[in-house]
Amino acid sequence: MESLFLQQVVNGLIVGSVYSLIAVGLTMIFGVMRISNFAHGDFSMVGAYIAVFILAWVPGWFGWVGSLVAALAGVGILGLVVERGLFRPLITRWTDLDQIMASVGLFFVMENLAQLFFGATPRMLPDPFQGATVDFGLFSTSMMRVLCISMAVGIIILLQIYLNRARMGVAIQATAQNRNAAQLMGININLIYGLTFALGSALAGLGGVLYGTIFAIYPTMGAIPTLKAFVVTILGGMGNIRGAIFSGFILGVAESLGGAYVSMEYKNAIGFVILILVLLIIPHGLFGRSEE
Amino acid sequence: MAAKQKIWAGLGLVACLALPLIITDRYIQHLLVMSLIFVIFSSSWNLITGYSGQLNMGHAAFFGIGAYASALLALKLGVSPWIGMFLGGLLAAAAGFLLGIPALRLSGPYLAITTIGFAEILRLVAMNWVDLTRGSLGLYGIPPLPGFWGIRFTSELTFYYVALAAAAWALFCFRRITRSEFGLSLQAMREDEIGAESIGIGTNRYKLTVFTISAFFGGFAGALLAHYQRLISPDMLSLGETFQALTMTMIGGLGTLTGPVIGAVLLTFLSEGLRFVEDAVKMDVRLIIYGGLLIVTILFMRGGIMGLWERWRGRSAGDGEEA
Amino acid sequence: MAILETKHVTKNFGGLTALQDVSFALEKGEVMGLIGPNGAGKTTLINILSGAFHPSEGKVIYQGEDISRLKANLVNERGIARTFQVVRIFKRLTVLENVLTAMVDRGKDGPWRLVWGSFFRRACAFNQDRDACATADGLLASVGLLDYRDERAENLPYAMSKRLEIARALATRPKVLLLDEPSSGLNPAEQNEQIKIIRQINEQGISILIIEHVMKVIMDISHRLIVLHYGEKIAEGEPEAVYNDPLVVEAYLGGEGNA
Ligand SMILES: Nc1ncnc2c1ncn2[C@@H]1O[C@H](COP(=O)(O)OP(=O)(O)OP(=O)(O)O)[C@@H](O)[C@H]1O
Ligand SMILES: [Mg+2]
Repeated sequence: MESLFLQQVVNGLIVGSVYSLIAVGLTMIFGVMRISNFAHGDFSMVGAYIAVFILAWVPGWFGWVGSLVAALAGVGILGLVVERGLFRPLITRWTDLDQIMASVGLFFVMENLAQLFFGATPRMLPDPFQGATVDFGLFSTSMMRVLCISMAVGIIILLQIYLNRARMGVAIQATAQNRNAAQLMGININLIYGLTFALGSALAGLGGVLYGTIFAIYPTMGAIPTLKAFVVTILGGMGNIRGAIFSGFILGVAESLGGAYVSMEYKNAIGFVILILVLLIIPHGLFGRSEE
Repeated sequence: MAAKQKIWAGLGLVACLALPLIITDRYIQHLLVMSLIFVIFSSSWNLITGYSGQLNMGHAAFFGIGAYASALLALKLGVSPWIGMFLGGLLAAAAGFLLGIPALRLSGPYLAITTIGFAEILRLVAMNWVDLTRGSLGLYGIPPLPGFWGIRFTSELTFYYVALAAAAWALFCFRRITRSEFGLSLQAMREDEIGAESIGIGTNRYKLTVFTISAFFGGFAGALLAHYQRLISPDMLSLGETFQALTMTMIGGLGTLTGPVIGAVLLTFLSEGLRFVEDAVKMDVRLIIYGGLLIVTILFMRGGIMGLWERWRGRSAGDGEEA
Repeated sequence: MAILETKHVTKNFGGLTALQDVSFALEKGEVMGLIGPNGAGKTTLINILSGAFHPSEGKVIYQGEDISRLKANLVNERGIARTFQVVRIFKRLTVLENVLTAMVDRGKDGPWRLVWGSFFRRACAFNQDRDACATADGLLASVGLLDYRDERAENLPYAMSKRLEIARALATRPKVLLLDEPSSGLNPAEQNEQIKIIRQINEQGISILIIEHVMKVIMDISHRLIVLHYGEKIAEGEPEAVYNDPLVVEAYLGGEGNA
């Protein structure tokens, strides 16, 4: 019994690390630009497909490294294009409603374009460890998943370092805290917007590759990371990066335990139930309010 | 002015009544029926989001509740679909009231995700409560609307008139409601909640009321579809369904009575016009087009088709004054 | 006789005390000026009087009833109307509709009665209701907005949007009117116009509390003044006396210095 419980917690932490990674991108974009991007999960989908194609072309470790780099770059550039083409023109004159609906429109366009180009067949990423598992006594897991969680945690740590140490990273945080003050300090807001959106999307792309180590990849898979990332982001307080990291793990574990002990069928509803309950009690999430 | 409007309305009504008699192609008649059902569905979404400014991304929940309730009442308990449709609407209204409660405290992305979650949870119930709903297979063999006076409502032609009556009734209600003190108060709330409260509008009660009314009509439209198609699946509760209502309304003109009507008819026919493309690529390109049109509307065509019309009319009126 | 009074009202925002033990009384029929340097807590006081905020301590009494815990819409129903420092008109409604919305008799049973009622009206639309429109036109005329009647509120010049807020507040048939800087941002001619309008309103027997930075306006129309400084009431009385009160002078000169 105890090992089943522990096993579920570990599984949850692994999935949760991916949720965190994807949600961090979303919350960053919201914090800096006040954009709620409902197409965020589709950037993960694109990242996952980039990995599918690269790994089909270059198998093995070289392909894995290449996939991550290509997902980072490819989805980052895609993010830049989307920011320029869709969100930038809206930023001065949108209402919340327009912006959210535009992103929902983008969601359906991307999802269905993917279906058009990639076909509906689900794909799996090849396991570089040929199915090897590690046994930790009370629980066990596949090497691939160990890789997944270490990569996710590693990327999150790198991001933290970037945001706190690098000049542009600090500028991003300053803008998130106070747009006007940042502007007065001579920060180029448009540059920051572009960078933030590209970076946030790239994180979703990387998250997508890691997501593909656990789940199947198919064109309409983006809905799940989008919704999960929103649940996580809101639970963590929109714009709050630390909050999103923690909430991602919390959601992963809650789902895993809920799936094991409550109901497998309703696993995907657990996040929403928690979300609705939390929002009814604390409107701005578990980890404090977004600065407004 | 009013007399002129009445003449136009009369002409429109005659045209609507005569339409399926002129166009005897059954497939076109089918599209007309679908348009009318989506007129009701989109207009009801418009009431919440367009008039009172509450971004409801879970409207499909009401569509599905109405459809499943009416279908199940007919299948399991033998309730006449004529009554079932209204009961379905009422059940949806109850759900609308429930969904209105979070809306009292949430707005923007918070409300959007909560409403999505609400519909998703219900979709999962429809998928997994197999004993009742037959899961992802959906319900089939749903009884049609019972006929009377020798008329049977199983053909596109006869059902067209039912849908037309339903849409006319719904639009009449929406027109009355939106142009009343209540409707004006909703719009005031949409423009500025604090301002609205300062003049005595108790926004909580207004929100709950509009969610309830809108959900009723959303559910009613769903029930209508159930007894027309006689086949429903959990897809009716999906985000894609809400997205249709949203796109139709946005393209026609958010927060106007005519907008969703134009949008629903236009997009229903447009997506069928795309069938030859779809046959070529063997794919559903409808949602790509919808999404693209929605983005173009938001970026370049504020207020949708009705917005264009208003601006055009405004400009020509202005020209007249100057001349 | 006092129509609206506060008793030892304190308002905290987290660590910040915006109002500290403020007591004052607005007499029936008077115009009371409320002044103080920026951030003194003037708007906060109006927010509390109008039910937008609730006091952390103390009470608000209106005609003998404790209204400290009432929501803004209920406070308005009792007979207290307000305007905002940053206008909050309904932008996409017409000027007429802005006023009509405020005139609605909402009764006790709430919105359902209005929905129900909408099906039993002769004129299809409320904004075509003869009686209501006549009343609204009267109000618009009294603030000089009749020419803009069918204009969308967002197209109004700034001065006119400030007046629209006043007309909208009046449309709720208040006994007390709370004005938050009604002439800020107006040119001198517009300010004079504004003074005239406010005076006329007062002559109809409506008691007024007015916040104003423009000294000319405030000295001109108020019967009495109170002064807030860092959330505390530091003076109260006849305008001339208050104006020359050393404490007040110091507050203004020591503070922002723009009297
Ligand atoms: N909702 C709020 N949350 C937190 N602090 C607030 C809030 N409203 C006002 N304050 C603070 O309370 C203090 C008083 O503000 P208030 O707006 O009442 O000043 P004021 O006298 O109206 O100033 P002004 O002349 O600039 O309008 C200020 O320090 C302000 O920052
Ligand atoms: Mg103020």
